[in-house]
Amino acid sequence: MARTEEVLESAGRRRRSFSPRYPGWLTTPSLLYYAIFFLGPLAILVAFSLATQTGFDAISYGFDTSQYHLVTDSLYVKIFERTLLMAGGGSLLTILVGYPIAYWMARYLSTYKLLALLLILVPFWTSFLIRTYALKIILDPHGYLAEDLGIDIMYTKWAVAVGLVYNYLPLFIIPVFASLERMDWSLVEAATDLGAKPYNAFRQITLRLTLPGVVTGALLVFIPMSGEYIIPNILSGGNYEFVGNVIGDQFASAQNQPFGSALSISLMIALSGFVALYILFATKEERFGA
Amino acid sequence: MTDDLNQLNILAPRETKPQMDRLYHDVVRAVGHPLSRRSALGLGGLALLAACGTKTGNGATGGSTAKSDALAGKPLENHLEIFNWSEYDDPSTYKKFMALPAEAKAGLKIHETYYSSNDELLAKLNAGGTTYDVIAPSQNAVAQLIETHKLMKLDPSLIPNLKYLDPKFLKPSYDPTGEYHVIKDYGITMFFYNNQIITEKPQTMLDFYHLLPKYVSKGRTNLLDGAEEIVPLALLALGLDANTDSSSDFDQVTKFLMSIRKGVTTITSSSYIDDAIAGKIILSQGWNGDVRRIVQGRKKQGDITAVLPHEKSEIWADNWCIPATAPHPVAAHAWINWLCTPSTAVTEMNYHNYGIPIPQALAKLPTSLSKDPLFNVPSSYTDNYEYILNVSPQVVQERTRIYTQFRAA
Repeated sequence: MARTEEVLESAGRRRRSFSPRYPGWLTTPSLLYYAIFFLGPLAILVAFSLATQTGFDAISYGFDTSQYHLVTDSLYVKIFERTLLMAGGGSLLTILVGYPIAYWMARYLSTYKLLALLLILVPFWTSFLIRTYALKIILDPHGYLAEDLGIDIMYTKWAVAVGLVYNYLPLFIIPVFASLERMDWSLVEAATDLGAKPYNAFRQITLRLTLPGVVTGALLVFIPMSGEYIIPNILSGGNYEFVGNVIGDQFASAQNQPFGSALSISLMIALSGFVALYILFATKEERFGA
Repeated sequence: MTDDLNQLNILAPRETKPQMDRLYHDVVRAVGHPLSRRSALGLGGLALLAACGTKTGNGATGGSTAKSDALAGKPLENHLEIFNWSEYDDPSTYKKFMALPAEAKAGLKIHETYYSSNDELLAKLNAGGTTYDVIAPSQNAVAQLIETHKLMKLDPSLIPNLKYLDPKFLKPSYDPTGEYHVIKDYGITMFFYNNQIITEKPQTMLDFYHLLPKYVSKGRTNLLDGAEEIVPLALLALGLDANTDSSSDFDQVTKFLMSIRKGVTTITSSSYIDDAIAGKIILSQGWNGDVRRIVQGRKKQGDITAVLPHEKSEIWADNWCIPATAPHPVAAHAWINWLCTPSTAVTEMNYHNYGIPIPQALAKLPTSLSKDPLFNVPSSYTDNYEYILNVSPQVVQERTRIYTQFRAA
């Protein structure tokens, strides 16, 4: 035993003192994978979006930006707005539902902490589609929720919002839980000792320190929510379209790859804006030493 | 498997037993609850169930672009690759086909994969799917596949049973020369309503649309989903050409659709059947085979009235076609010929409950089917109905735009 400790210690020391540099070409397989399966399709999408449709199953490549002009049509702008608004609202709801759960788990649970974490994650192991269909049973206009409690929201945007929050909740809880776990609770104690009211202590200490976790979690749910396709399809009964649904219709039923690609790229650009904001925000946090 | 006097003893190599067993289970399952093909798969249809036979990777013989008239006299191949809607043909149809003298002698095996929409079929073929021998596209896809030279001209000498088909179905608008398709079955689009709630007696599609805003507060209303349903059906209701490319027609239909938008609770083509049987829908469009199931499912309550629309509506047809690149064209012709055999058509119609225009077969059906107007739709109705086609990319795009606008409203 003592010898293994010695070995570990010496290995640790060596790493500290020599810090070996691994040859850069070792990343080649990963980079190749990334290039072929991520950058490749993206390049195809860009090429499609600049092509012209000349017939069924026939496009001629070139530099035709007319598809992007079409995206700015008020109909599609409206759908973009609605998608981003819905994803934003969904993220906000997720914060309101998810933060208290994460806080409770980190602060009040000790023996059952792991179990609680497991219970949060278990639904995530089930197929997304099945979870959404399960929600359909709960929200059914002839179900308990509607008939006994009078909450009949199936086939409306509210059903879509419930679906968004439910499906993405674990993605938010995990990073927030992690940052709450890491937090030094003695700071809160110190604040109350110095006379801070619980609300002020929470706002000035806990929330401040966990904000990076909250922002990461919110972004983690906001981006997939903006690209959502299944939830609006199933829970809105075809009444509430996200950009994802319009893109699907363009590729499948209209067989218009150029326009579908232009819509996809536009969505990516819009989302990149939000990611840029996040990076700005995150680095600022770091600068001020969170 | 239980010992049964009716049991079928098959002499086959021992290795095929697991496949036979699976086939048996498939049959039992299928007989238990025949599914409408339009409802069978709403989930994207990646199901890859071998109906029978082994999964062979032989696409190597492909690429024959031979004109079919070069086929006469060629030997039957030993494989048939079918790309089809799921649970759309009676399992015994496959078994009996492989047991036919010539097919058994050639050792022909069938392998089948499935799709859940015409869009999926077109995407697979456009992406270079060259291993399929037989496909079952709907009329709009047939017209488009002919236009893009993706179909093989059929050789009538290899399909002698064509003589049994009702001649009215040989040269439809989607294949005017009748050289590229053989009809598989057909149906129409109609509507139904809850007669306890709706007291009017709607007769036409236009009546149906006008009832939507009036009754939406009383329960769920539904339209069939898809740009190729929403827009052309509304055009037909207005008395316009379903396949129009005129922008004034499109303007008119957009205005009309937006005026009834508030009256529509859901837009779906798959979940409406079960929901209607559960009594959750008060007014909806539907395909005749599905509506027939709904009426039967609500027999006890008797509250569903089904209406074959007077004036105009949609007639649709699914068809057997052979892709131009089919590796086993002789077997594909043999399959189509087998499906045109009256006895096979009887089995098939009993299974999927959609009409096949073979008079000799229709005569042999139980009267509960053949006398039911929801199954055997009288030609006084269908004569007015129109096929919806993918006229041109521009028309399809315009329909999709109006559809998006309608859904997003």
